[in-house]
Amino acid sequence: MKTRKSLFTLFSLLLLASLALAACGPAATEAPPAATEPPAATEAPATAAPATEAPAADPMADLIAAAQAEGMLTTIALPHDWCNYGEAIETFKTKYGLEVNELNPDAGSGDEIEAIKANKDNPGPQAPDVIDVGFAFGPSSKAEGLIQPYKVSTWDSIPADAKDAEGYWYGDYYGVLSFLVNTDVQPEVPQDWADLLDPKYNGQVALSGDPRASNQAIQSVFAASLANGGSLDDAQPGLDYFAQLNSAGNLVPLIANNGLVATGETAVRITWDYNALAAIDSFEGNPAAQVVIPASGRFAGVYVQAISAYAPHPNAAKLWMEFLYSDEGQTIWMKGYCHPIREQDMRDRGVIPADLLAKLPDVTGAVFPTVAQLDAAKALITANWDAAVGANIQAAP
Amino acid sequence: MAQTSLPLPNAKEPSNLKNWLGVSPFFLFAILFILFPSLYLVEGSFINQEGQFTLQNYADLLRSPAIVNAYKLSIQISAATAIGGGIFGFLLAYSITVGGLPRQLRSALITFSGVASNFAGVPLAFAFIATLGRRGFVTLLLKDNLNIDLYQAGFDLYTFWGLTAIYMFFQFPLMVLVMVPALDGLKREWREAAENLGASYFQYWTRVAMPILLPSILGSMILLFGNAFGAYATAYALTGGRLGIITIQIGAQIRGDVLHNPGLGYAMAMGMVIIMAVSLIGYSWLQKVSERWLR
Amino acid sequence: MASKGLRKVVAMSDTPFDVSAGQGGPGKKRWSLLRIGGRFWSWVWFILGAVYFLVPLFATLRHSLRMERDVIGFKAYERAFEDPSFLETFLLSNALAVATIVCSALLIVPTAYWIRLRLPQARRIAEFITLLPFVIPAIILVFGLIRTYSTHFTIPFTDIELFQPLTTTKFGTYALITAGYMVLAMPYMYRSVDTGMRVVDIRTLTEAAQSLGAGWFTIITQVILPNVRSALLSGALLTFAIVVGEVTLASFLGVDAFGPYLFLIGQHKAYEPAALSFVTFLMTWFAMGMIQFVTGGQGQATGAH
Repeated sequence: MKTRKSLFTLFSLLLLASLALAACGPAATEAPPAATEPPAATEAPATAAPATEAPAADPMADLIAAAQAEGMLTTIALPHDWCNYGEAIETFKTKYGLEVNELNPDAGSGDEIEAIKANKDNPGPQAPDVIDVGFAFGPSSKAEGLIQPYKVSTWDSIPADAKDAEGYWYGDYYGVLSFLVNTDVQPEVPQDWADLLDPKYNGQVALSGDPRASNQAIQSVFAASLANGGSLDDAQPGLDYFAQLNSAGNLVPLIANNGLVATGETAVRITWDYNALAAIDSFEGNPAAQVVIPASGRFAGVYVQAISAYAPHPNAAKLWMEFLYSDEGQTIWMKGYCHPIREQDMRDRGVIPADLLAKLPDVTGAVFPTVAQLDAAKALITANWDAAVGANIQAAP
Repeated sequence: MAQTSLPLPNAKEPSNLKNWLGVSPFFLFAILFILFPSLYLVEGSFINQEGQFTLQNYADLLRSPAIVNAYKLSIQISAATAIGGGIFGFLLAYSITVGGLPRQLRSALITFSGVASNFAGVPLAFAFIATLGRRGFVTLLLKDNLNIDLYQAGFDLYTFWGLTAIYMFFQFPLMVLVMVPALDGLKREWREAAENLGASYFQYWTRVAMPILLPSILGSMILLFGNAFGAYATAYALTGGRLGIITIQIGAQIRGDVLHNPGLGYAMAMGMVIIMAVSLIGYSWLQKVSERWLR
Repeated sequence: MASKGLRKVVAMSDTPFDVSAGQGGPGKKRWSLLRIGGRFWSWVWFILGAVYFLVPLFATLRHSLRMERDVIGFKAYERAFEDPSFLETFLLSNALAVATIVCSALLIVPTAYWIRLRLPQARRIAEFITLLPFVIPAIILVFGLIRTYSTHFTIPFTDIELFQPLTTTKFGTYALITAGYMVLAMPYMYRSVDTGMRVVDIRTLTEAAQSLGAGWFTIITQVILPNVRSALLSGALLTFAIVVGEVTLASFLGVDAFGPYLFLIGQHKAYEPAALSFVTFLMTWFAMGMIQFVTGGQGQATGAH
């Protein structure tokens, strides 16, 4: 009894110690912002040096100072290996000395919107400052009054059809749907959507999400329709294609991820090209894999950035946007194999390193749907997916 | 010495304020941390996509065949895993308590059950896919060494029954953990008394032990039912594109990447609450029947 | 004096009557044989269970060891554990788990006891409440908690603010997430404790204790609690696993817990998630063993055989 009691005391002490550690932890990481402020102060004169940038330097310096006064940025739904966000966040942290509080990296666009709504009155670190959502969510969140306008200094180089005229939301990057193929398991690499119907891919093809809920999956169906005789206004052929793929037994109902590609269970994964390329990097040759941008049906998916109307750290948010849309930020995204939205402008000015240019996938002929087309396709696909792939399966009779 | 008077067990207990005071912390906690946060759920189920009050969401629940089917599927899986999990989980619990296995195995199984009871979602799906998927190591082992091609023979992990088999990974342990204390409570003197009255082992079990255990077994099964009913991640990972159970449908409406109707999602969740309430009523009735003889 | 008497009462309910002395019946021999036969079946169930549980875990391990081409090695593990945050977040989640277990026990044991003893009418509604967490999606719970507790609590009709909103302080957020975890664990904790109490004759125990002059607090802590130890352990283990593996609440409340960390590390990788989930399984199993050890084993099986 005595030993048990003393063990219990020991355990409670351990528990208190870990709580104390945990409570002290964040305090420790808050020290750096103070320490790195001097370098930030010296940055302002540095950017003021080139005469052409002098007018822009002052508002930037003010913004940096205001952001640092806030001390923190809260992001949401930014996985570290999605478009190289990991490097973007780290660079932002060290460059400006701000803390970045990352909420749920697995959140979907709907979650991000819900998070803004739920945190309307919350000044704490649970309220997201900035969001990165699917294209269709830009106009809808503007209509719901959830985001605030801000035009970054490089605003004019963002293509007009990828941004809101009033500055509420703005496209950040895009990619094209592609096939990630595990060539150890399936050495015959498909070149186009039609190839996937071949019996040799039996039980090997999978989507990266559920078309009833996932942006990536819905747009896969939309992309297939382009290759199957449909158009941006008609997604029905896409449903027909997947119905065919399913009844041929080629489509596996799994939600594919890289682990499953590695085991060979989903030897052909339909996903964004940047995800596929990043996956190949992470495989490091095991398994051997290839990315194929299908010959037809090249479908570009654009994501958009926005600042929450209820952001507790609006200046940090604006600074984050400035960073992302600067050449530096756009290049970081490019390292993640994403096509940044200002790509054309940067190509014209020749500021993209040649080796990066070489690594970017060739997406000529990619089509960009409008919000209206996306909405129409979404409505069609989500309503009819169950019927198309026989998802109304009952249990055994 | 002061004698505090306790009312006789079967006397009609006036439910005076003092008694309810005893459970007030629990109800207060429930109000603060379950009811208040869920108010938005109730409220939202009556709101349509334009933000106006509507009963359409509830109407859709009953009218949309996809949703009705989703409920049916969820109930089927939950019932199947509750019953299957209940039976084998009970046998496992039996084996380490009454069944007389060594103490260390009991310890090992109980702690293992603690961990396994929450091993779900993508890691669980992956573990089974890596075992019995088309390229699972068992599948390949059988194919290469014994020339048995499971998938050729019609086996498919990505079906209702495959999902059921996988759900058992957290249902068995849950049953074990809840039933072990109940089995421990089977007093030896009952068995000995039965033995001395000439009862066979089988009679002891069917006439004495099972009736005593039945309320606990039913209680555990409703827990297993609820556990499977609310599960989402495992089903999504394994058969997300094919089996549309209700939790996946709700997820699609509320958290999806594509604009949907959250009001409908909330209404579907309210539907789940109602189904749970109905199941609870059924279970309570069964409880009352099973406890009758204990009086 | 009262406590000695109490211990006697508890002991009395443990000692089996020795009925078998001198009354072996014709059925006795058959019982022993059947008991041996019974042990055979115990082994059968146990081994079947072991195979069912261990083979998929082995598959996970096997996959995690294959990160390097054609080599069985620990590269995935090295990669996965390069980050020191693994231990930090694991410890934090452990601490939150212990806090949740303690608070849950404090809330649920007296409640289950009271309902069984004095308030059977409340049983149905209490059980319904404890089953609600199954059907309220975690994401709705977390956003509901944020909505409710991120605003200042003002006395109605005035502008007086009583408390800081919970979400603005670190401690407040921990308190909020612990409450959230208590909600998630409630079905399991309640069912375990309720089953444990059903098995013990709490009415007799309470009467006996009261007749020896014990107050309610003494009854609950020194008479009831020791008797439901095994059930409480089950509840504690279940709660622990839930808290350590939980992702949704932690990731939206901004708590650096283990679940979100695992997600961040392994989301898009091929081999590290398998390594992480295998190690997590082992570490959590070990932590469960510690809990069992600290709470004094699984309680003595009262007369079970």
